[in-house]
Amino acid sequence: MLAAYLAIGAALFILGLVGFLTRRNLIVMFLCTELMFQGIIVNLVAFGRYPLSGPPTLHGQIFALFLLVVAAAEAALGLALVVLLYRNKGTLDANAWTLLRDA
Amino acid sequence: MTAALTTIGVLIGAVGLYLLMPGARLSSWKAATPLLLAACALAIGSSLQAFPAIYDKVAFSVFAAIGLLGGICVITNKQPVYSALFFVLVVVCVTGLLLLMQAQFLSMALLAIYAGAILVTYVFVIMLAQQGGTAAYDHTARSPLIGVLAGFVLLGIISAGLGRPEGGPPQIAMPSLAADAGAGTVRNVGLQLLTTYAVAIQIAGVLLLASMVGAVGIARRKASTGGIEEVD
Repeated sequence: MLAAYLAIGAALFILGLVGFLTRRNLIVMFLCTELMFQGIIVNLVAFGRYPLSGPPTLHGQIFALFLLVVAAAEAALGLALVVLLYRNKGTLDANAWTLLRDA
Repeated sequence: MTAALTTIGVLIGAVGLYLLMPGARLSSWKAATPLLLAACALAIGSSLQAFPAIYDKVAFSVFAAIGLLGGICVITNKQPVYSALFFVLVVVCVTGLLLLMQAQFLSMALLAIYAGAILVTYVFVIMLAQQGGTAAYDHTARSPLIGVLAGFVLLGIISAGLGRPEGGPPQIAMPSLAADAGAGTVRNVGLQLLTTYAVAIQIAGVLLLASMVGAVGIARRKASTGGIEEVD
């Protein structure tokens, strides 16, 4: 059962990764990081519920709760940055911000 | 046998996702849908025999299938608002999976915080920044072939490691938890949080406060004093 949940978590994470690599809209890129967080939460809770040795513990769930805190902080800061970037250039295209890229 | 099935599932999923990417060279909605459905069915069907009870089998496959298809819709939809709404669907399915793993409090917290709070912020920002329908940059993906390849090579390696008979995670069925033994109820999680993790939860509060102050400070800034000079 652990392997089944880990597979679903990995699939959600990979979907978020593919979206982050391929989409050009800044907001959708941030949404894809949240999709990766969902995969990680499934993984953490599965490891807590079906541990490799010993009885099930709550540590995975509590780790996921703290992950929720970090995700909320990340969403607030990231969306504030997106709003600022949008005010500067008037577009959400990630390709508009290539000042730090070589060539 | 299972390894071959998962490999086929990963391959079909990669092809289907590439066909569904906006702006891919061979973009085809009608060809991608059955491929992706077949990939989801293979991925879920190959992991179902670990579940002892029929109820767990049905609930797991429903939540996993809807969650994966919702995730695909999130990353391929051309309208960001619909991406956000499909993400709510993914959160609801993950909530169901957590309930199957007896994480009651965490699942409700996830539903309230993600679907309730974070996604509302996303939808507000989308409405603020993108009022005139879909933009041109939403119709073309950035190098879809490389992105899909990178992701699915990683997924293939992970699923191969998970399906390995030796060295993979043990396939043991845990006994169902008693209601007050180790289930993630409010009482149990609260006890752990306020005893073992008492310091960590204070630090988490400080982190939330700091990020709130930072977000207000960043968003209030004038665009002209943003510190980045226009070159072009």
